[in-house]
Amino acid sequence: MIDIAFVVFSVAAVISGYLVFRVDSMIRASFLLLASFLNVGAVLVLLLAEYLGTALLFMMTVEMVVMALFMVMFMMNPAGLNPMSMVHQPRVAAAAGLVAAAGIWAVALLADFPDAPVVDADQAVRDLGFELLGESMLVFESAGVTLLATMVCAVVLSAARGRFGDGYEGSVAPPLEPGGDHRPDDDLVDDDAGGHHHDHGGR
Amino acid sequence: MMGGDRVDVPAGIDPLDPAVAVLVLAAVLGLGSVATVVLRRLVAAPSAGRGGTTVGTAAAPLREARWLADQQVITTERPDRATWILAPAAYLGLAVAALAVVPLSAGVAVADVRTGIVVFGAAEALAIVVIFLHGWSPNSPFALVSAYRFVAVALSYELLSMFVLIAAAIPAGSLSIGAIVDSQAGLWNVVRQPLGLPLWLVVSWGVTFSGPLAVVDSADLAGGGGVEDSGLQRLAWAGARAAMLVVFAAAGAAVFLGGWQGPVLPGGAWMAVKTAAVLVVLVAGDVYLARMSAQRFVRLAWAVLLPLAFLDLLIGGVGSL
Repeated sequence: MIDIAFVVFSVAAVISGYLVFRVDSMIRASFLLLASFLNVGAVLVLLLAEYLGTALLFMMTVEMVVMALFMVMFMMNPAGLNPMSMVHQPRVAAAAGLVAAAGIWAVALLADFPDAPVVDADQAVRDLGFELLGESMLVFESAGVTLLATMVCAVVLSAARGRFGDGYEGSVAPPLEPGGDHRPDDDLVDDDAGGHHHDHGGR
Repeated sequence: MMGGDRVDVPAGIDPLDPAVAVLVLAAVLGLGSVATVVLRRLVAAPSAGRGGTTVGTAAAPLREARWLADQQVITTERPDRATWILAPAAYLGLAVAALAVVPLSAGVAVADVRTGIVVFGAAEALAIVVIFLHGWSPNSPFALVSAYRFVAVALSYELLSMFVLIAAAIPAGSLSIGAIVDSQAGLWNVVRQPLGLPLWLVVSWGVTFSGPLAVVDSADLAGGGGVEDSGLQRLAWAGARAAMLVVFAAAGAAVFLGGWQGPVLPGGAWMAVKTAAVLVVLVAGDVYLARMSAQRFVRLAWAVLLPLAFLDLLIGGVGSL
């Protein structure tokens, strides 16, 4: 029973991973990737890594929502239903993929894996907790703070207004032709709904 | 319980037999959805005829359901058909998966797994994906706008949900919802961690896009995510949403109101009463609270509610020292 489930989830993970590169839309690609991760999470649960498996389901879902949807929101085709190619640099990518696959297969076939079945799942989770907040704390906390700073910066950069007012404050529209005059500032988009309207003096 | 000491995790409850589990889940969600309709009618009665609130006859929802089931299903130009049709099924499936980890009575749970709140949180996060895809797939502008707007709201409430659940798990010393219920034997979490339940209500309105967070299928976008739905699709979506509301009420009752614990009555009855109580509050909010604009909610969530969730976590942590 567990063997059948293992095969089903593994095959589903590989197929949805493959389909990521066959579909023609950002949204489809992102959520097929998520489907692949969910199947890997299910395999982890089957391997008795109960906490890691379910945490993977949760983390990957939130991550895909943030990554995929933010990515698509900043694109020229926010609907994501119009066809677009989902591959670039195919030759480099194929070469990199082959090298990575060879590495993984080499590890899978040649490495001498320890035969240590998980007897106490709680002990495994506890060990993980002590690892994350003990020996490896510096690494994980550095990564965490860096990611947090990145998120804050991304939000600040994309916010239309901040505590010092309109994001367009003081900015000048680029000229319409090279070397030309700058356009008057009322050409700029003003999406400040709070509305401090400048008097443009009848320009 | 603190430090490196070995935490004694309760052995947990044996999962139900699959055949029984299916019946239990179907019964809880079916009865719960009917209860939602009845409660909604009772709650909305005082304001009937005012402010656009309409209260039909008791049979009106059934008649509407039958009418919807009869209607032709119309489609749009180049939709993503698979996700569109599967979204209501996936949403209902997630409600079922989330309900499975909630204990329904003393020693009765479909699968009170040790990672209960993680599974519940995963179902909740996947619901965001499903609601987004439901709005995205018809290839229709209003539905798409509602889908993106929902994601902004969802990312804001999702963090609250995790923090209040973790705060409830700290005194229990376990991620199992059964253990969280056990930990409330002396004092319910609603007293011990007073910020938890109000924040949970916000999350529940968010996941079921109702009340102040009705940003998906709402009238201000001409029907939003559901604007292109017709016939059975619309019926399935509404049914799945009622089921999700029941699941979040049940989880709120288990995590904050002591679940099946209480004198005299059997555990299952207490759980039903408490679930109904949370359901009344959720439905009343849906009927009486105005929809917030997504932008205002996002600001409120990050500037006010998230710090409150941190405070809740602090209260939970300090309280179990």
